[in-house]
Amino acid sequence: MIKMEQINKIYRPHSNPVHALRDVDLHIEIGDFVAIMGPSGSGKSTLMNVMGCLDTPSSGAYWLGGVEVSSMNSDQLATVRNQKIGFVFQNYNLLPRMTALRNVELPMLYAGVNKDERNTRALDCIGRVGMLDRIHHRPSELSGGQCQRIAIARALVNNPDIILADEPTGNLDSATSLEIMNLFQSLYQENTTIVLVTHEEDIAAFARRVLTFRDGKLVNDEILNPHLIEPSAVEGGGDI
Amino acid sequence: MNLGESIRVAWDSIRANMLRSILTTLGIMIGIAAVIAVVAVGQGGQQSIMKEMEQFGSNLFYITVDWRRDELPTGKEFTMQDIEIIKANVPELEYLLPCAQTYSTIKGRNKSKTAQILGTEADYARLHPLKITAGRFLNNSDCQGKRRVVVIDEELAQELFPRDNALGKRIVIGNQALVVCGLLKAENSMFSMGTKVIYIPTRVWLDIYPNGGISYIEGGTRSPEDVKTAMQSSIKVLEKRHHSEDLYQGMDMEQEIQAVNKVTGVMTLVIGIIAGFSLLVGGIGVMNIMLVSVTERTREIGLRMALGARRRDILIQFLIEAIVLCLLGGIIGMTLGIGGAFLISALAKWPPLVSWTTVLLAFTFSATIGIVFGILPANQAANLDPIEALRRD
Repeated sequence: MIKMEQINKIYRPHSNPVHALRDVDLHIEIGDFVAIMGPSGSGKSTLMNVMGCLDTPSSGAYWLGGVEVSSMNSDQLATVRNQKIGFVFQNYNLLPRMTALRNVELPMLYAGVNKDERNTRALDCIGRVGMLDRIHHRPSELSGGQCQRIAIARALVNNPDIILADEPTGNLDSATSLEIMNLFQSLYQENTTIVLVTHEEDIAAFARRVLTFRDGKLVNDEILNPHLIEPSAVEGGGDI
Repeated sequence: MNLGESIRVAWDSIRANMLRSILTTLGIMIGIAAVIAVVAVGQGGQQSIMKEMEQFGSNLFYITVDWRRDELPTGKEFTMQDIEIIKANVPELEYLLPCAQTYSTIKGRNKSKTAQILGTEADYARLHPLKITAGRFLNNSDCQGKRRVVVIDEELAQELFPRDNALGKRIVIGNQALVVCGLLKAENSMFSMGTKVIYIPTRVWLDIYPNGGISYIEGGTRSPEDVKTAMQSSIKVLEKRHHSEDLYQGMDMEQEIQAVNKVTGVMTLVIGIIAGFSLLVGGIGVMNIMLVSVTERTREIGLRMALGARRRDILIQFLIEAIVLCLLGGIIGMTLGIGGAFLISALAKWPPLVSWTTVLLAFTFSATIGIVFGILPANQAANLDPIEALRRD
């Protein structure tokens, strides 16, 4: 699913180089639930950006769903983000002037999905996150947890290969955080690949596998919850 | 993203900042309103002038002395004898009227008014659409026999003789008393500027103003095709009689219409330039607010990019927003302009003319301004780095 080989990312290579990622080799299988941990400055955000095709690596190769994306141009990357990746942000990033339903429909607009199908798929995803009674509310009329549920529905709506969640519980209280993490876990049970960036151990504890970064390097890779379903046990899972 | 959705997004964002949006488009509004109003009033005016001219008829011509020449020619003025000789030598002519005019004070019983005193002949009534409501117009024996008679219109009659019927009453022009022999329906021509015209026989006019002379000759032919020939032959006769070339100037309706078109053309050009500047300033205003909008919505742009918007999707979105903004200004401006045109026309008493071409032109213009001044902000938005944009507050 995700395969990274010798990924390096260097910011300002000429004036004041910052080595954000150093020789990262990584492999994430379909249907896995992976947490990426590390203190700030460890390179986990850079990794997230590269993984989310928002940024390109300085060197190395990155395959997403069997396609080499590290050398794509910005339009191609936009299409990859649209089709293969679902983003969940710490601050939800819902558009304030749109209703929940329209926010969820947004990725499909860029995919050219027709109106009826947009509606059907959006309602389906909103149903999966349990927000069908709030579809006509604007983000300002929703609680943080509800906003994040809508944001997760938006991430799911184009049937992406992976969900990339960047500190999804960072703005939530612990009870709501628990609800959101339970939601992620149930999505994982439904065979959604999830990559979660966090610096909180109790949040990372929901994942099956935890990768720890320090100074741009992958320093630890452990299976935290072996009792969770093995990705390889899932039909169609495994290496690509 | 399809067009309908782009327009919806643009409209949402404009509506969210309604006051700001309207203030921004003020320049465009004023520009478009000015163009629409001026063009509508101008075209309406032009049409009125044309209509008035067409009433005179296409078989008419005028001959005047060319006053552009430096020295005032003496002994070269038209005489009553000239008229007789031209009539005898130019067979195409149906009418030939010696006309003399001046502005003067006229006195009724107790009141005085300033009026245009036109000395003419009986056939004037057949060349011009005058409506006699009482009495009669000047007739041939009035003109030949130098009868002291005058034709005035009803409004002037009412002013000069508020309590009586003016017909048969005396009015004094210069040192002569004339009897009112006919009343005309009052009609306000846009040329007259409120001054009334009164009609007296040319020979009487020459008696009242011995130092004046015939101002112009008005001719009419049986058919419009003969106008040019008749006019040129008449001028030739005059030149021969007065031994002078290039002194007399002829003008027919065709030339007059061309002259009017020339004037309106220049007017349109001047207004066009002024409106152009107004729209330029308006366009810069739109560009400015679009740059603000891009800055304010940087995170939104980043998010849209993260969700799969390509650079050109963002470019088109902001371009459409600029166009919608300009069209909004254009539509409001157009409404104001049409309203203004009707208001001005109501005061000026001629109908405004709002043509589809004008409306279409205003639309196209607004949209073009949107594109031209929207390109820079839209391009700025499209070239944002998604990571940077998402990080912005």
